[in-house]
Amino acid sequence: MKYLDLAMNAAQSLGAEYADIRVQKTTDQVIYLQNLSLKNTSTDVLYGYGIRVFKDGAWGFAHSNVFSDEEVLATVKRAAGIAALSASVNKDRKLRLAPERSYIAKYETPMQIDPFSLPMKDKVELMLEVNRTMLAYEGIRRAMFYLIMHKDEKLFASTLGTRLELNTGWIDPMIIATAVHEGDSQSRTFDEGGRSVGWEWIESLNLTDKAKQIAEEALIKVKADTLGPEERRSLVLDPNHLGLTMHESVGHPTELDRVLGWEADFAGISFATPEKLGNYQYGSPLINFVGDNTLAEGLATAGFDDDGVPGQKWHIIKDGILSEYGSTRDTAPEIGLGYSRGCNRATYYYDQPINRIPNLYLLPGTKELTPGELIADTEDGVYIQGRGSFSIDQHRVNFQFGGDFFWEIKNGKLARPLKKVIYKSCNPEFWNSCDAICDQRFWRPFGVVNCGKGQPGQSARMTHGAAPARFRNIRVGGSK
Amino acid sequence: MNPHFEKIAQYIKTHCQADDYTLNINLSDSHETRFAQNRVTQHIAGANMEIGLEVAFEGKTGSCSVNQSDEASLAYLLKTAQDIARLNRPDPEFMPSLGAQQLPEVQNSDPATRNLEPAKMVEIVQDSIDRAKAFGAAVSGMTEKHYTERFMATKHGFTGYDDGTEFGHSMTLKKDEVETKVSYEAKDFAGFDLEREFAQLLSQAESLKTMKDFDPCQIAVILRPSALEELLWFMGWMMNRRQSDEGFTPFTGQLGQPFFGEKFTWRSTLLQPNLKASPFDREGVVSRELSWVENGVLKNMPTNRFWAKEKNAEALSVFNVHIHGGQATEEEMMALVPRGLIINRFWYIRTVDAKAGELTGMTRDGVLYFENGKVQNAVNNLRFNEIPHLATRRILALGPERLASAYSSIPTMLIDGFTFVDKTTF
Repeated sequence: MKYLDLAMNAAQSLGAEYADIRVQKTTDQVIYLQNLSLKNTSTDVLYGYGIRVFKDGAWGFAHSNVFSDEEVLATVKRAAGIAALSASVNKDRKLRLAPERSYIAKYETPMQIDPFSLPMKDKVELMLEVNRTMLAYEGIRRAMFYLIMHKDEKLFASTLGTRLELNTGWIDPMIIATAVHEGDSQSRTFDEGGRSVGWEWIESLNLTDKAKQIAEEALIKVKADTLGPEERRSLVLDPNHLGLTMHESVGHPTELDRVLGWEADFAGISFATPEKLGNYQYGSPLINFVGDNTLAEGLATAGFDDDGVPGQKWHIIKDGILSEYGSTRDTAPEIGLGYSRGCNRATYYYDQPINRIPNLYLLPGTKELTPGELIADTEDGVYIQGRGSFSIDQHRVNFQFGGDFFWEIKNGKLARPLKKVIYKSCNPEFWNSCDAICDQRFWRPFGVVNCGKGQPGQSARMTHGAAPARFRNIRVGGSK
Repeated sequence: MNPHFEKIAQYIKTHCQADDYTLNINLSDSHETRFAQNRVTQHIAGANMEIGLEVAFEGKTGSCSVNQSDEASLAYLLKTAQDIARLNRPDPEFMPSLGAQQLPEVQNSDPATRNLEPAKMVEIVQDSIDRAKAFGAAVSGMTEKHYTERFMATKHGFTGYDDGTEFGHSMTLKKDEVETKVSYEAKDFAGFDLEREFAQLLSQAESLKTMKDFDPCQIAVILRPSALEELLWFMGWMMNRRQSDEGFTPFTGQLGQPFFGEKFTWRSTLLQPNLKASPFDREGVVSRELSWVENGVLKNMPTNRFWAKEKNAEALSVFNVHIHGGQATEEEMMALVPRGLIINRFWYIRTVDAKAGELTGMTRDGVLYFENGKVQNAVNNLRFNEIPHLATRRILALGPERLASAYSSIPTMLIDGFTFVDKTTF
């Protein structure tokens, strides 16, 4: 595309120390069906370009959706102009960029069946069948199916000489059954999160069977007992639930921009500060968290980030010790790192990239252990499946989580279903209380497609993964 | 009216083959200077336009949106929406679009704010940083201005237009262990006074210097407007007529009942000139003076057009938040209870139990403990698990209303017996 060179040459002629342009076309196809009524069936396209100019230790970022030589040049000029204004503020404390080399590369999400190629009618028919399956159960008052198919077609060029073509996509199906019974209402959700795959994944999920399961479980849940007062108990957490727990209590605290205080005004800062690197006991020795933007089918797997840095794999927590952060070219030098971990990502063309959680997962246990054996080894506890309410303080220390489906564990057996269970804990108490993780056979990935962060707000995506794990002596109880 | 919008509307009107359509155009032009720890980390400028079209053939609907307005893009928009609709199934809840409506006159836009120069905004940032440095502190925040235009047209003759501006400046100050925040957000820049905002920030920081450990308990709280605003938005999202009628919320069967405390009155209003108010909602329903809660009685709930038809009711939307206040100062509130906490803001509020209406969340940016009518010291941040509509039954006093955001005018509120369940280490 001629605009790439035009923009980069113009940026250099305006004195940019570094500049890049990201031409991005984002297409979302959304189908939202509730109680057999199509609430939204749409295709949404956002197409434009964002230009970053780094000059004298500061950024300027301007964007446009008009494709012409004049507009591209005007956008470069605008970015350079506001970079100069930013630099006038930063003159005593300039930003720096970690070194990076140039790349000429292409990356594409592997897909067998492009979800955009299927007729809308086929997708709607599947969704209607799933909706009907749930509504066939007496007591299910609301059946919901939300399906989103997403693709990003991106061209990236930088003054380093990098030229990238990145075509990525993902699908996210979510099904919810809501039951009403004797003055209460409870929902059960099938939500694997998004995955960077083709339609073949949807075909493999047997969604009608899943619909039966969640409808039945919603009915069990609405009639279930509550747990009663808070006590210290064991928790056995399934991988889907752990995906959200690790996102909030490990992923966000180890974003380097948050550690540096760059998110202080909105999303908050982090307790996991640099002097703790290499010595802080974040979790028990069983805990190994890996950042991996090369993970197959991972939502943050895109070949390169929006700094033009390739996907990497590294330990964030190793044998329980805080090991490293997720970083970007402008945050890494702040703690003396000579490289970025490639975690700078923007949502749309009009968003300036910000430091984002990579694909982040908990490594499975190294000894053979099945979920059944884990439960059989637990005297008194609660088994939590799926994601529910979640809330954590702005230093990422104190948190409270719910879940989607709960079983009381008594003497090594699933004793009775429960509802309205919440648990409270904090970093590092929670991760240090982990005493067992099931093995590789039970490790599963779960996507997050709506991670909100930043001012102005952006929505990013990444994949988490875990095997079922046990946490001892956690405060668990029923809500009001 | 933007002449560009009229051209797009004319194109759709001329070429759309569907029985019905609704065209929405949203234009935004923003400038956002983000600063952190005394330097600029992000600086964004640019405009965008989103053109959304929903069409229907005999109740079969399809939608598409694009962000470019050349003829090829409009042809894609139209074809995509129509193709989806033709392949779709009829929607049993389909509602034909509205015809022409008499819209209220609102003034949501301020030309001086729209024309605010980037250099002036950076000057405000620099001034904020200089003031923080002089205090031996670091400041983080954002200076932003937005201009928006919104246009809606339907096959049946509805035409609506609204333009608006917003200026915002937020500052989070960090000095040693003290963190606290102020923010200004309004439709115009003219009301902004950095000196006043920074003085408030310093006053908060000074009051937080002596921190003591405090355990969670049920205790009286003085909720400042920013804290109360967050809580009420979350409660408001649950307050939906259809969801309530179908049994999913705590408001089931409560319409017309004294469900809230009698000191609690919540309206949406077109009569407060400092409060932004969209003249029409996304279905084209016209905004009018509305009481949601009147002296504790649940008078109305947001209702879409389909559910309004089903229930023989009126379609209604929340278009801003006006909570009635009183005259009590914080000092007077402190004298009304033996002990309590002053809360600046909440953070990460989430639903714990949708049917009960129970929420959780943390305090942030400063919590003060008072006893015997006087602030004694700052305390650590706390987690609450609370049911807001029940909390309104324990309102003891109300302060004067003030702008908490461009869309909300909210008082300080003294509430007895607020439920804190956990604490954090800072």
